[in-house]
Amino acid sequence: MKSLLKIFVLGILLSAANQTLAQTSKYKCMLQMNGYTGEPAYISVSLINPKGDYEKTLYVMGKDKKWYNSLKEWFKFFNKTKNVNAKTGASVAGGDRAMVNIELNDAILDKGYKIRFETAVEDQKYYATDVEVPATTEALAGKADGSGYIKYIRFSKVQP
Amino acid sequence: MTLSIWRYAHLALALISSLFIVMASVTGVILAIDAAQENTLPFKTAGFDEVTLSQSIPVLKQKFPEITEISVDHNGFVNLKGFDDEGNEIDAYVNPKTAQILGKPIEKSSFIQWVTAFHRSLFLKETGRLIIGVVSFLLIFIALSGMALVIQRQRSVAKFFKKVVKEYFAQYYHIITGRIMLIPVLLIAISGTYLSMVHLHLLPEFKVNHQVKINSNTNAEGSAVNAELFKSVKLGDVKKIEFPFAEDPEEHYTIKLEERELVVDQFSGQVLNEVRYPGTVILEDLSLDLHTGRGNVVWAIVLAIASLNILFFVYSGFAITLKRRSTKIKNKHGLNDAEIVLLVGSENGNTLRFANAVHQQLLANGQASYLLQLNQYQVFPKAKHLLIFTSTYGLGDAPSNADKFLSLLDKYPQQQKVNFSVLGFGSHAYPDFCKFAIEVDDKLATQTWANRLLQLHTVDDKSAIQFVDWIKKWNESTEIDLATTPALYAKKPKGLRKMMVLDKSEVTDQEHTFLLTLQAPTGLRFTSGDLLAIYPSDDAKERLYSIAKINGNIQLVVKLHPNGLGSNYLNDLKIGQTFKARLVNNASFHLPKSKKVALIANGTGIAPFLGMISQNTKHTEMKLYAGFRNETSLIKKHLEFLAHHLKQQKLNDFQIAFSREQNQCYVMDLIKRDASFLAGLLKQGGVIMICGSLQMQQDVEKVLDQISLENNGINLAAYKAKGRLLTDCY
Repeated sequence: MKSLLKIFVLGILLSAANQTLAQTSKYKCMLQMNGYTGEPAYISVSLINPKGDYEKTLYVMGKDKKWYNSLKEWFKFFNKTKNVNAKTGASVAGGDRAMVNIELNDAILDKGYKIRFETAVEDQKYYATDVEVPATTEALAGKADGSGYIKYIRFSKVQP
Repeated sequence: MTLSIWRYAHLALALISSLFIVMASVTGVILAIDAAQENTLPFKTAGFDEVTLSQSIPVLKQKFPEITEISVDHNGFVNLKGFDDEGNEIDAYVNPKTAQILGKPIEKSSFIQWVTAFHRSLFLKETGRLIIGVVSFLLIFIALSGMALVIQRQRSVAKFFKKVVKEYFAQYYHIITGRIMLIPVLLIAISGTYLSMVHLHLLPEFKVNHQVKINSNTNAEGSAVNAELFKSVKLGDVKKIEFPFAEDPEEHYTIKLEERELVVDQFSGQVLNEVRYPGTVILEDLSLDLHTGRGNVVWAIVLAIASLNILFFVYSGFAITLKRRSTKIKNKHGLNDAEIVLLVGSENGNTLRFANAVHQQLLANGQASYLLQLNQYQVFPKAKHLLIFTSTYGLGDAPSNADKFLSLLDKYPQQQKVNFSVLGFGSHAYPDFCKFAIEVDDKLATQTWANRLLQLHTVDDKSAIQFVDWIKKWNESTEIDLATTPALYAKKPKGLRKMMVLDKSEVTDQEHTFLLTLQAPTGLRFTSGDLLAIYPSDDAKERLYSIAKINGNIQLVVKLHPNGLGSNYLNDLKIGQTFKARLVNNASFHLPKSKKVALIANGTGIAPFLGMISQNTKHTEMKLYAGFRNETSLIKKHLEFLAHHLKQQKLNDFQIAFSREQNQCYVMDLIKRDASFLAGLLKQGGVIMICGSLQMQQDVEKVLDQISLENNGINLAAYKAKGRLLTDCY
């Protein structure tokens, strides 16, 4: 009886905690790559704070850490912790479409934060800001064109 | 000649690439097993391939309101990416009929990833890819040249899978497994080459570029799921479906099929654009299927076996090459001094081994013997004998080191009379048995300087016994005696074992013969009449002794010759000492199953008989005739032994002749005295065994022949042919 009660109390506490932490939203981003030839691209998705510094890594496409250094700017940030506290996916080949799902705290919206897509391809040019969009409700429901390997990215908020 | 080209090509290519082939094969086995293993995972839904898109998508949509893509992999696993109705991200294998989640997508273990990277590029990036690509390319030619060699050996494409003669393990299984695995190996090599070319960007790269005209008038109503296309396309044909990102006319379905890609309007289901894949893409896909065995357990297992087999090819191929190289010719005398010239035509080195055995003996006998290849034929100024040992290759052709001999024969007539004898080596398993040897013999017979010493003699399937038949003829017709023990000419087997001396009698001024007892190595099966082969010197010279099996031990009777290599070696052994030797099975001189046996021996020839008597637990009727010079201490021991066994009824009777004692009696005398008994024995199906000196054997056979003719009206040769006279003489 006692243990049942404990579980019950714990359950209530957990769901309460969940309520306070659940002020995040999910967004899906569709990356459409340009039809370039060569190896698949490594892409990092980072949250940039209003000062213009890396705040958090949201997503990394590319599994082999030995190539991470090709994403030069992001790598400096990554190198401090050596730990990607984010989801990872496969690198993306030219012409392909890739889906990226990210989670953002609602509190940072419309506060001058940005979301940066950095791209690199083996033996080819590196783009420090292939795509950069402001972290605003409007931008995260629209479309942004790329300047490097990415043709465009479409954003959409996942409705729970 | 063409044969050599194929063989050299086969060998040269293998030599260049063997190291990399080994690395690629070992990793290939691992990857093939992984592919087979992956295919058996329970993520496949039975009958999924017959489900149409319009059947499956609505079911999936119900559970997963947001689907970003569905892909069907080579294993038939349906992978869905999207979100469920609670907004949770989904990336899982699903049942396309029920939308049930079956499991998480397979993530290759880091070990398999490591092996894959090594297999593709040896961790050397572009350089490694290039090496692997070149090696795959060479493997195609290794397989093709191997195929050419088999066709040449079998003499026609139609007989490709006909019987192959087993010469030895490496040779036999190299060919046998080579024929079976030819197709898988070729496919591995071709597909591997193609994939390397793709990875090295040697082929034009293809990128799909869809040109879709955006029709702003499109009615954003309805669903493509109900369109004709979605009703006809089955999941089994689909590789990937990318779902429209949003309900926006600019967003479409992209459906990737085996050979083409379609862009489909998400509302009307109209095909807005279609791109067919070029041949290069389809070939790459096919190459991946063939090379990796993905999605097909059976093929993956075949690939694993083929990779293991490639490792075996490398091993057996080098074993064959080393074996061919090991038979080298060493000459002591100059060619111009040579009196006995041995000419060899040999493809695999087997014939050369026989010639070498004769050559070495001739040299040991002080003869000016010279051994060379048939293609090196020329004028031999001092030659008295020309011995030709040749095999036949392919369609009755000359071996590659003898193909010029017939023309050289016209070019270089000898200046003096020369005796010749031709030995043909071959196998009755092939037609045209010894055809080249016959040609050589016929052509030599037409030469004015040539005198046929012996008729053409053929040896089937490297039979040492048949070879010894020729040796005997040679011994009869010349003054030069060669050893007639078949085991001496048989292929030298490996497997020397340690033997320990248990007992040894002493040699004195009066007694030159000694009895040696050895402990048999554990697990070794042998019996009386077998031979003990010892190697007293470093040069692999072999000496053979008839042995007796007494109380499970090996017993030898050895006469010490002042310069005898073997007898001195054995005499120097001390009790408790070990040495290496091997036992040679001598089945032609085992005690036969006959009811009556007469044993005839002289001198140390009594050795195997002592064992046969001791082993006679079945009480075969046995009678021994033995001849010695004097009644020495060792002979007295023998007599005691015989008397003891007489009492035990293992022996029925024995008669001993002493040639140097007062009555001067020989074995022949004993035989003559017992003529009617021996004739009767032969008539009743008994067997006579003779062991001892060749001289004694000849004398005894002469006497027995007489006895047989007089009493039974049949000559001894007839009994011999029936295996009723067994001999082991030296």
